[in-house]
Amino acid sequence: MQVPSAQATAASSLLALEEVSCRFGGLLALDRVSLQVQPGEIFGLIGPNGAGKTTLFNLISGVGRPTAGSIRWSDGAINGLPPDRINRLGIGRTFQNLHLFQRLSCLENVLIGLHHSARAPLLPALLGRRSFRQSQGELRQRALELLELVDLADTARQPAGSLPYGSQRRLEIARALATAPRLLLLDEPAAGMNPIEKEELSALIRRLRSRFDLTVLVIEHHVPLMMSLCDRLAVLNFGRRIALGTPESVRHDPAVIEAYLGVSA
Amino acid sequence: MSDLSLLVQMGFGALLALSVYLPLRCGQLSLATPGFYVIGGYVAALLSTSWSALSGDGAGYPLTSLALELVVAALVAAAVALVLGRPVLQLRGIYLAIATIALVEILRVLNLNLAWSGGAVGIFGIPQPFAGPGGYALATWVLLALVCWLCARLEDMRLGRAMAAIRDDELAARCMGIPSADVKLTAFVISAVIAALTGVLAAHFLNTWNARQGGFDASITTLAFVVFGGSRIWLGPVLGGLVITALPELLRPVGDLRLILFGLVILLGPILFPQGLITPERLARLQQTL
Amino acid sequence: MVHLLQILINGLASGAVYALFALGYTLVFSVLGVINFAQGAMFTIGGYLTYLLIGGAVGANGLLAGWQLPVSLPFWLALALAGAGSALVGLGVEAMAFRPLRQRNAEPLLYLISSLGAGVVLVNLVQLLMGAESYSIPTSTLAALPSALALGGAQIRTVQVLLLLVATLLVALLTLWLEGSRGGKALQAVAEDPVTARLLGIDSGAMIRLAFALSGFLAGVAGGLVGLSVSIAGPYFGIGYGLKGLGVLVLGGLGSVPGAVLGGLIVGLAEALVPSELSGYKDGVAFAILFLVLLLRPQGLLGKPVASKV
Repeated sequence: MQVPSAQATAASSLLALEEVSCRFGGLLALDRVSLQVQPGEIFGLIGPNGAGKTTLFNLISGVGRPTAGSIRWSDGAINGLPPDRINRLGIGRTFQNLHLFQRLSCLENVLIGLHHSARAPLLPALLGRRSFRQSQGELRQRALELLELVDLADTARQPAGSLPYGSQRRLEIARALATAPRLLLLDEPAAGMNPIEKEELSALIRRLRSRFDLTVLVIEHHVPLMMSLCDRLAVLNFGRRIALGTPESVRHDPAVIEAYLGVSA
Repeated sequence: MSDLSLLVQMGFGALLALSVYLPLRCGQLSLATPGFYVIGGYVAALLSTSWSALSGDGAGYPLTSLALELVVAALVAAAVALVLGRPVLQLRGIYLAIATIALVEILRVLNLNLAWSGGAVGIFGIPQPFAGPGGYALATWVLLALVCWLCARLEDMRLGRAMAAIRDDELAARCMGIPSADVKLTAFVISAVIAALTGVLAAHFLNTWNARQGGFDASITTLAFVVFGGSRIWLGPVLGGLVITALPELLRPVGDLRLILFGLVILLGPILFPQGLITPERLARLQQTL
Repeated sequence: MVHLLQILINGLASGAVYALFALGYTLVFSVLGVINFAQGAMFTIGGYLTYLLIGGAVGANGLLAGWQLPVSLPFWLALALAGAGSALVGLGVEAMAFRPLRQRNAEPLLYLISSLGAGVVLVNLVQLLMGAESYSIPTSTLAALPSALALGGAQIRTVQVLLLLVATLLVALLTLWLEGSRGGKALQAVAEDPVTARLLGIDSGAMIRLAFALSGFLAGVAGGLVGLSVSIAGPYFGIGYGLKGLGVLVLGGLGSVPGAVLGGLIVGLAEALVPSELSGYKDGVAFAILFLVLLLRPQGLLGKPVASKV
């Protein structure tokens, strides 16, 4: 893809990574990665295992800190902020190896995502007044709607840990949506799903984007799925961004073919 | 010991158990409870013995003065917890447990040596707001009821949910926008206040207060209350506190063997009931059968 | 005028006891990831066993009142046997309080409580049998040695020097064994990664029992030595030492053998340097140091940083 000028793109973009590096001891997990995510797009990150994709998510969501470079969100730098602050700024995420509140019910998982919508005056809450009960009822209603959206309304009362794998992935999406993000980071949302589920997930992500006015950044191994789902893709290999562009241009990029097939193209 | 006195002690046990329970509910193994209990006791002992205006002119120690002590103790404990909480709660797991044990030990050594706490002798002749154990039992159980109610309401509130989330998976909770440091600090402060209020009542009830009140043993016994009763719903620590406090008294007929049996109960409790006696699931099942 | 050298030796001697204690904790911690709160009781038992084995008589209060061993063993033999006895107790604690939980994959908190329960049982058993009075191991048991050594103008109690020597010897042997022998390497493998260790054919259950036996032995010997140099101040005397040992353990860094030794020496020396007019504060020194270190370096002096994994 043609990048007119880095400056102009960064200014209009929702999220901009500039020369971001991350080092763990002797391992350079990310090496001067730059990319810009535009509002409303579905942006994909692909690359072999260990390419640094999840590390990148961790840096964006505040779970880790970059050792160099800057991460800009809307118009301010967010690198170094704690995860809860970053979430409040409008970035929600899911986890590759599922971080649900296992022992809590699906409904409670989503209610916890609604934490900041659940602010209620202390005294009525302590006294269990009608106004508090009413607001709690509405909150539950919203949580149920979110569960319905990901097709989990029937299991609202079950502990999250007891759900099948695919359902747990969708529950993570519902929980992240509850935090009212503008940017949703999905870390391998289709892992462990069968082909039909993968198709449904793809449709779900598109539906969620238009319904919540979302921008989506997604990591996924299943390349065909990513080609059809994403507006743009970045390819990481050994911590470097080796390609960036539309699915069509990435598909034919020699560097990408080499990274995936391990041969010189 | 009279039955009413035992009832008072059991109430203290349940209150201290709830004080340990609150931080544990958000995954924090803090053993600072006896320290705040001691602080509460000293606030009561110092105020009531050295400030004559509080004693009033009637026969007994006025209840308004007791109320004032409770307020002061709560404020002091909350202030100490706020100051210490930030740095201490950054520690995790067993490190947090041992740092809080260290705090309690440092406090004990200070109290043993400083003049205002009466040194090793402590403070005695603490005036009595109640004529007998009956009054204390009432006051203790009213406080216990209030704290239970607070904990029960918490389960319904977003703070309670946030605590449960942090216990289950702190990283995920933070990524869902929950300011975990603030939530943990809140739990720590409430825990400190509960322990200090209990200390105020205990100082009057025991009539004397010294550095031997609350130490490492107390830290661990209160933790045993919670683990034994169950740490996932407030009813667990209450039951644990009541039962384990009463146990040595109930075992009195077996004479010298009673502490050995007491130890056996603590040893076998976690093995036989790893979740504690009371779990949300068991409660739900109980509600269904009733 | 107390000589500086004297202070130094005293500090090192008590530091060595703390180090032995902390090593016991660390052995169990490194294989199981939990702390054995019954360690203080094993220390107590070591002290009492040593006392009984050198032919000391039971006081007037316990069930065994007036009882005495018909023979009186030399101190070193008694100390070694007491260590072995405590090692057996350690195995018992593992079987009663740890193995049932391990088989259920229980959360670490539960081990803390169950081992505490085991400690309460043991301490009260000692009290039941031998009463609550304090016992002292007479230094005359070491009749062949002078009671004090003159060293560079300072008078140093022989007992302190012995304590220091024995502790150093044990630490050295333990390190040699851990680093140099098959058994020691197997133990370390279990500590590093139990799953891989099992794949390599190491019986992790046996290694865990070994860790308990060793920690019991160390605690028992420490108890006997303290009984000789100070006294056995009733059945609960191990608890105070145990608590300080715990502080030393965390100060040095959980699971680190050199850390346990370093922590012990720092605390011992710091305590010895407390001026006599402030001696009331001595018991707080260990915890004050521990607290400050934890705030600056949460993993302890030589511990590995705790990483969170996503």
